[in-house]
Amino acid sequence: MSKSHHLSLSASKLRNLDVLSKSDPMAVIYAKKLDGMLEELGRTEVIMNTLNPVWITKFTINYHFEIVQPLVFRVYDIDTKYHNTSVKMLKLNEQDYLGEASCTLSEIVTKRDRSLTLKLKYQNRPADAHLGTITVHAEETVASRAAVEMILRCSRLENKDVFSKSDPFLRISRIVESGISIPICKTEVINNNLNPVWKPVTLTMQQFGSKENPLIIECFDFNANGKHELLGELQGSMAELEKLSREKIGAHFYVPSSVRQGHKKMLKGQLFVDNFCEKIQYSFLDYISNGFELNFMVAVDFTASNGNPRSPDSLHYIDPSGRLNSYQQAIVGVGEVLQFYDTDKCFPAWGFGGRMSDGSVSHCFNLNGSLDECEVVGVEGIMSSYAMALHNVMLAGPTLFGPVINKAAAIASKSLSHSHNKYFVLLIITDGVITDAVETKDAIVKASDLPLSILIVGVGGADFKQMEILDADNGKRLESSTGRIATRDIVQFVPMREMQGRQTSIVQSLLEELPGQFLTYMRCRDIKPIFAHPAATSACQPN
Amino acid sequence: MENSATLEITIISAEDLRLSHRPLKKNAFVTVRSTSTLNDGGASSTSLDRDGGSYPHWNEKLKVALPASARSISVEVCCKTGTGVRLVAVAAIPVSDFCEPAGYLHFLSYRLRERDGERNGIINLSVRMEGAGPFGRRVQRPLAAPPTMWAKGEERRNYGVAVGHPVGYGYRVY
Repeated sequence: MSKSHHLSLSASKLRNLDVLSKSDPMAVIYAKKLDGMLEELGRTEVIMNTLNPVWITKFTINYHFEIVQPLVFRVYDIDTKYHNTSVKMLKLNEQDYLGEASCTLSEIVTKRDRSLTLKLKYQNRPADAHLGTITVHAEETVASRAAVEMILRCSRLENKDVFSKSDPFLRISRIVESGISIPICKTEVINNNLNPVWKPVTLTMQQFGSKENPLIIECFDFNANGKHELLGELQGSMAELEKLSREKIGAHFYVPSSVRQGHKKMLKGQLFVDNFCEKIQYSFLDYISNGFELNFMVAVDFTASNGNPRSPDSLHYIDPSGRLNSYQQAIVGVGEVLQFYDTDKCFPAWGFGGRMSDGSVSHCFNLNGSLDECEVVGVEGIMSSYAMALHNVMLAGPTLFGPVINKAAAIASKSLSHSHNKYFVLLIITDGVITDAVETKDAIVKASDLPLSILIVGVGGADFKQMEILDADNGKRLESSTGRIATRDIVQFVPMREMQGRQTSIVQSLLEELPGQFLTYMRCRDIKPIFAHPAATSACQPN
Repeated sequence: MENSATLEITIISAEDLRLSHRPLKKNAFVTVRSTSTLNDGGASSTSLDRDGGSYPHWNEKLKVALPASARSISVEVCCKTGTGVRLVAVAAIPVSDFCEPAGYLHFLSYRLRERDGERNGIINLSVRMEGAGPFGRRVQRPLAAPPTMWAKGEERRNYGVAVGHPVGYGYRVY
């Protein structure tokens, strides 16, 4: 999920380095890369003679939920002799350094007013009140939240299949100025039906442009080999689709005529639109910046298959050199992203499959060793509890997910009695395949109606094929042993081994579906961001 | 008169319905029944879906009284044919699936089965229960044996083998 933002900067109470007048400040934004190196993103203009500059230059940056985006801001006083030079040409090491500040992009965009004020300090020195502050403000590039929802159906489609009926689906594309059509949405495939009714389709104004923008709607017969046959197409704008819905009439499909070149043949098949309605569709950040939060929970596998933690071969080996093992990598990777969305940074942490000091095996024990408190503070808290637990708990087994999933679901369910603004994320890190497939599926199906998502990381070399069934990405909804079917897909499973050397990191693959799962939950219950401010409802022109 | 609660059920849609081994053509409707051993409870039906075929959409809200002793409600998908009404498939929804948390809007989906047990599609609905009261037979599962605190080594409590099933938010009726 990525959202384009404009960053604007201002500063106040800057240090005055000039003798006869005030400083002439300029700011530079850097992105901090994984190796710690800084990459310059841009510079503001120079404002003369002020200690409280409000720079006009804006910087465009893409916010990505699933990665940590550290930024560094540096402020310089530009010497008079450079005032006629373009800012791009200025050599920063020849300017007077006024201080710097750093933060992550998510810290800015999750704030209610999307502004963050930071104290300036000298590099590698603690903050100094005399250096002033810098304020960063983020604004979404396209803030329009207008969307339309409608039910599309067809009648009397042509039959292209031999032994059964066509399997139709629709593709809606937008025609841009140059005449090219860009697909914006595809419906699901309905098998064997010449009068299909598809699930409601929602399109945002960002996707279709304006209600007058020309669209092409094509109906295809799905073919497993990928060569879908065109059943018909028609052109129309969103406003015309609204008219079809209002007047309850259909529009005929056309195909290019085989007889007369350049002409179209009208078909018997028609497209109907039902329940066309306009609505406001709030974004993930709208919820987060209005008090909604993601609560992070973690469960660690303590089964014997991990290997004795004292042995360097063990998946649980704590390397004295500081190199993180697979469990630590997953905890830090996911925790570092999600911590900004959790206001109190108190994370429930459990272990499962371990043998306690009294000899019993527990499938859901508090990682911090406490009897009744399952929470630890911060990602550091999870790491230290994990290390301590390795000393006190013996690895046992078998690998059961049911108990931890049920515990997380209980916490999510309990929170519903006092608020609707918490969404829970359970991270399960395991080295093996579960032995309680039925109980796990039952637990997931039950949890699918709660504000909960489950991220599962598979570490080590096991064959995790069986686990992929839990992640319903292939479209098959999970079914419990009692006949109940999962309301939504709440599981994301990623085997760590497969991600080595890939472009997308394992954390990104785990987290990329999360904003979508959060939004599906909120939208289908019509839960709106609590204090939707006026700016949320006005459409902005894209720059 | 046993106290009862009111169920607000919105029948949303059904998927992949078959009648006589062929995809259902049209005119499907849903009847929700709540029964208990003591009384018949009530039944309420949706209108016919004319265009959806084997993937009907209703989005209709039904209100059904739920007697306190009822343990499940039945959702029947039927089809109005030229000769009468035919039962397509049924799902039984345990009250435990929607009685907690109180007043919560549950979105649920169930496997539909024919009289002989054969699978026949999925039903999607939402349920909200209004009115409190003990429902069904509640089996209170004991809390899982609390983990031994290893920071205080001298406190050794023996709970025997851990059950390993912390309290879920629903319950299982056996």
